[in-house]
Amino acid sequence: MKKITALLLVLVMALGLSVGCAQQEVNTQPDPTEAPAATEAPVAEATPEVVASAEPEKPELSGTMKVVATGDVYGPLFEEFTKDTGVTVEVLSMSSGEVLSKLRAEGGTPSADLWFGGGIDAFMSAADDGLLEPVVFDAANDLAPEFRNADGYWYSKGITIVGFLVNDGLLEELKLDKPASWDDLTKEEYKGEIVMSNPAVSGTNYAVVNALLQAKGDAGWDYFEKLNENIAYYGRRGSDPKNKVTADEFAIGITYVDPSIEKLTEDYNVSVIYPSDGIPWVSEGVAAFKNAENVEAAKAFIEWLFSNDDHLRQLASVENKTGVKIIKPSIEGVELTYDASILMDEDLSLFGKQREEILARFEPMMGDKAAQE
Amino acid sequence: MYLELEKLNKSFDGKSAVCDLSLGVERGELLCILGSSGCGKTTTLNMIGGFLAPDSGTILLDGQDVTNMPPERRPVSTVFQSYGLFPHMTVLENVTYGLKFRRYNRAQAREKGMKYLELVGLADRANAHIHEISGGQQQRVALARSLIVEPKLCLLDEPLSNLDAALRARMRGELKRLQRELDITMVFVTHDQEEALILADRIAVMEHGHLLQLGTPEEVYREPTNDTIASFLGLKDIVWGEDGSVMKIIRR
Amino acid sequence: MTAASKSTNKRACKNALFRIKERAGDTVVLCVLLGGVLLFILWPMLCIALRSFRAADGGFTLEAYSNVLSKYGTSIRNSVVVGICTAICTTILSLSAALTCATRRSWGRTLCMILLTAAMVAPPFVSSLAYIQLYGRRGWITYRLLGLSWNPYNLAGVVAMQSLSFTPLNALFLLGVLDKLDADSLRSARDLGAKPSAILRDIVLPLMRPGLLVSMLLSFVRSLADYGTPVIIGGRSVTLAAEVYLQVIGYSNLEKSSAMNMFLLVPSILFFFIYRALMRRSDKLTAGSRSAQGGLSLPLTRCGSVGWLALIGSGLFFVLTLLQYGCVLLSGFLKSKKGVYSFTLDHWNELWSIGASPVVRSVVYALIVAVVGTLFAALFAYYMDRRRVPGRAFFDCIATMPYMLPGTCFGIGYILAFNHAPLKLTGTSIIVLANMLFKQLPTSAKICSATLAQLQPAQERSAQDLGAGRLAVIRDVVLPNMRPALLSCFVYNFTSSMTTAGAIIFLIDPSRQLAVFRLFDAVYRGDYALASVLASVITAIVLAVEGLVWLLSRKEGKRRVS
Repeated sequence: MKKITALLLVLVMALGLSVGCAQQEVNTQPDPTEAPAATEAPVAEATPEVVASAEPEKPELSGTMKVVATGDVYGPLFEEFTKDTGVTVEVLSMSSGEVLSKLRAEGGTPSADLWFGGGIDAFMSAADDGLLEPVVFDAANDLAPEFRNADGYWYSKGITIVGFLVNDGLLEELKLDKPASWDDLTKEEYKGEIVMSNPAVSGTNYAVVNALLQAKGDAGWDYFEKLNENIAYYGRRGSDPKNKVTADEFAIGITYVDPSIEKLTEDYNVSVIYPSDGIPWVSEGVAAFKNAENVEAAKAFIEWLFSNDDHLRQLASVENKTGVKIIKPSIEGVELTYDASILMDEDLSLFGKQREEILARFEPMMGDKAAQE
Repeated sequence: MYLELEKLNKSFDGKSAVCDLSLGVERGELLCILGSSGCGKTTTLNMIGGFLAPDSGTILLDGQDVTNMPPERRPVSTVFQSYGLFPHMTVLENVTYGLKFRRYNRAQAREKGMKYLELVGLADRANAHIHEISGGQQQRVALARSLIVEPKLCLLDEPLSNLDAALRARMRGELKRLQRELDITMVFVTHDQEEALILADRIAVMEHGHLLQLGTPEEVYREPTNDTIASFLGLKDIVWGEDGSVMKIIRR
Repeated sequence: MTAASKSTNKRACKNALFRIKERAGDTVVLCVLLGGVLLFILWPMLCIALRSFRAADGGFTLEAYSNVLSKYGTSIRNSVVVGICTAICTTILSLSAALTCATRRSWGRTLCMILLTAAMVAPPFVSSLAYIQLYGRRGWITYRLLGLSWNPYNLAGVVAMQSLSFTPLNALFLLGVLDKLDADSLRSARDLGAKPSAILRDIVLPLMRPGLLVSMLLSFVRSLADYGTPVIIGGRSVTLAAEVYLQVIGYSNLEKSSAMNMFLLVPSILFFFIYRALMRRSDKLTAGSRSAQGGLSLPLTRCGSVGWLALIGSGLFFVLTLLQYGCVLLSGFLKSKKGVYSFTLDHWNELWSIGASPVVRSVVYALIVAVVGTLFAALFAYYMDRRRVPGRAFFDCIATMPYMLPGTCFGIGYILAFNHAPLKLTGTSIIVLANMLFKQLPTSAKICSATLAQLQPAQERSAQDLGAGRLAVIRDVVLPNMRPALLSCFVYNFTSSMTTAGAIIFLIDPSRQLAVFRLFDAVYRGDYALASVLASVITAIVLAVEGLVWLLSRKEGKRRVS
């Protein structure tokens, strides 16, 4: 009996420990009453009305805001938010597909409060399913209209652009020229040397498909049929094309392009190519989850972020991206690192509407039958 | 001598199990090695069978030195205490297994197998599986399997210890009959004095790896060379037959 | 006189009370076990099943099923082909390893055992990455060493990787079967003139046949459920499990992925019944050997071609495994600059930025699951095997199912099942712990069952005879005698909890991250160096704990012997 008692004791202690850990995290956050005092920054930028409307909300802010984000670089931004409001932030990185699946499975009881980053089509689809909470604030009017939902269900925090990452050494070895445009990619010589991600998994690669279909009209599907013959395989992670090219495995990867990709050229024998016939792009969303435990904090965060250009500038600097300039043209101190005119003309609203249809048509192409030809 | 052990030694981890053991067995004789558990009798058997290599000493069988011969080539076969039957084979397959390695064709093997099964009275169970027959029957299958290869020497490691008393008495008689009938040389290991006295032509008493006495049952019983043997055997009154064999044991 | 009768009365009273308490305790334990299985396995699976029939408007439809059958025939075929190939390769490799291990003496055997146990620890995904690094288009071995350039992204790669990673567990299982062979049977055969090759062919392999079939079945089913390997190295080919994963993370189509899971459950139920029948046969052939002395005296070098094949196979397995581990460890220290590798500690420094808390939390969770899971599995196996529990075949079958489901799906099932009061567990640690525990229950329960089958029921009866209540029998006789199984269970549960990511992705709470999740995240982002570092750390922790358990058990064992 003694042994079992001892065992149980260990168990109880262990359980207590894990619960204790969790509780501690909750307890260590600063006293919420301190929060209003710390909020100085918004006053400088925002109109007096905003401050007034925000004031009654602020004392309610407390606890922890749980965030699902696409990366883990946002630490400094969230720290700033904690400093201003007293809300502690916990971040978990998840791809947008995972978030959407989890949301649907949870059936209206989301375990996170804020969704930060990921292709806008997932946000559109979540909004259609009624899984998001509208956030309305005055500064939203400063954002370009295509970058916010009319009812405030989602906002764009920036844009991701897509280009090629090519392996110079491998191309040289294969005696091939660098591809310069999307049309180049269908040349027979690149057969088996191109990697792109499954558009269902990768928001950026979905943007490629949707944007090129929009641009090419009826000829779009012919283009992808041809491209498909050159594609070695479709990666199941967004980072696959980049990784396979830097590892010298494949010559050309269709990937998102940002300063971190540009930086790869220092360490690897690779170069970045902006296709001459246009750059597909997709905006990245931010939204609060409906019915979330701390939905107030998430709403406050969205308002906090967009109402103060300092915060947007900080976002741009931690992400090392400049797309914010397109979202909020009036912002100063952020300049685009690329020429906005090379971006393709896209109707973003189609991204959500056509997603299912396009992916359903794309899916059979990606199987192994095509590869056996 | 047909089988000769000369100064066999074997120790495990520095502990001597068999010490300077020398003894001989005549052709057609049944020798019993008698001793309490841990006396070195099974070790001796394993060395004769080739499963253990002696540290020193030689084993001669029919004039041939077999000390370093592996068990599969040694003309010796063993009936193990747990029989070691093959559970995935039938009775007949078990009995004829050894013939596979002696250039018998299938028909010949079958014929000989049936003959030996008849000898042990199991011809009607030839196609049964091992788990379908009784313990006594398993014992007889093991015996037939060992005898069918016509070994120069058959070793038995407490083969009767898993049987009940009545069956054991019957099997004793049967074993003796088979041994006589087929004229086989046997070495039999046991801790059961009664069994040794009844079965053996000669008894070798062992203790702590040493041979204490070697002689006919009557010699060993009537003139024990030391007190240990006396106390070991002296529990019973025995009625001896004219040829020196045991007629009856009267328990006190 | 009256005082004496009073005290007798009192004692009788106490006895009666004790008996009632014991009986009640027994019922409570049984209810907890069965309730746990119903709540944490059957209920989530029912939720998945219900979801697979749900139409867009919430009504009933079979659309998802017809969709799967019409569109994913190739995936189903791929799954079956890969499963069969993996089953065969794994069984050949593990038979080789088990034979090699069993025929080595003392230290050779210990070394083999250590290698096999260590090889089980490979964290998910990382071994697939090592495969690409070693044998990929620009692999260290295929390209740099051998100058080959081939495309490793295909089903053959998946089969190779799965076989390598399934082999250790299967080899340990087959080693258990080998150790149970009746040594006297083998000696008899030898005595009758059979050479080692003949013994292997006529006795050892036939006796192992049910065991080998079980090994094939185990790896076939595991291969069906494995999505990590085909996702990373399957190239254009998709298996059903990988498709489930894609449906969840890509299309967020719960209905379709649920329907696919239902297709995986059908073989699972079949699997359960075949497994039971085979194990019974295996026990009949191998159990009841009194003369097993451990160690098979069968020199493989003299076993003809089969023996040589076994030696080569196990050698190949050990070399490949060591290469893989070496590759993972090395990747954590290497930095590539324009194709030139240099030594660096950067990745390890990056580890500090993650902080210790995910690692510590992982260890705490793994310990909890290891202790509770082991106890649960042992008790569950006992009640199923030794007590006449009504409907035990049903419960036993349910408890086997998590083995079949891809981790992702088991995780989604948990969210579906536990997101509403009164069963709201999402966002708590309990849901994560329960998920780990029940995902591992099939294997742990089987480990316990196997040991239980070796125990004489007479022991339990004697204890009962002497007045021990039902719980006392479990506590005083059953559990102490299951020590070896409990230890293996503990190690298995701990290892799996530390290294399995599949289901956890969906259950984990942002404030309570686990090391293996960080590993998954690093792999996902393509930060292989950090992934390698994390994998090395996780492996080291698991090996340290395993070593500790082993040392403790040896000490304890020695104490008991003396």
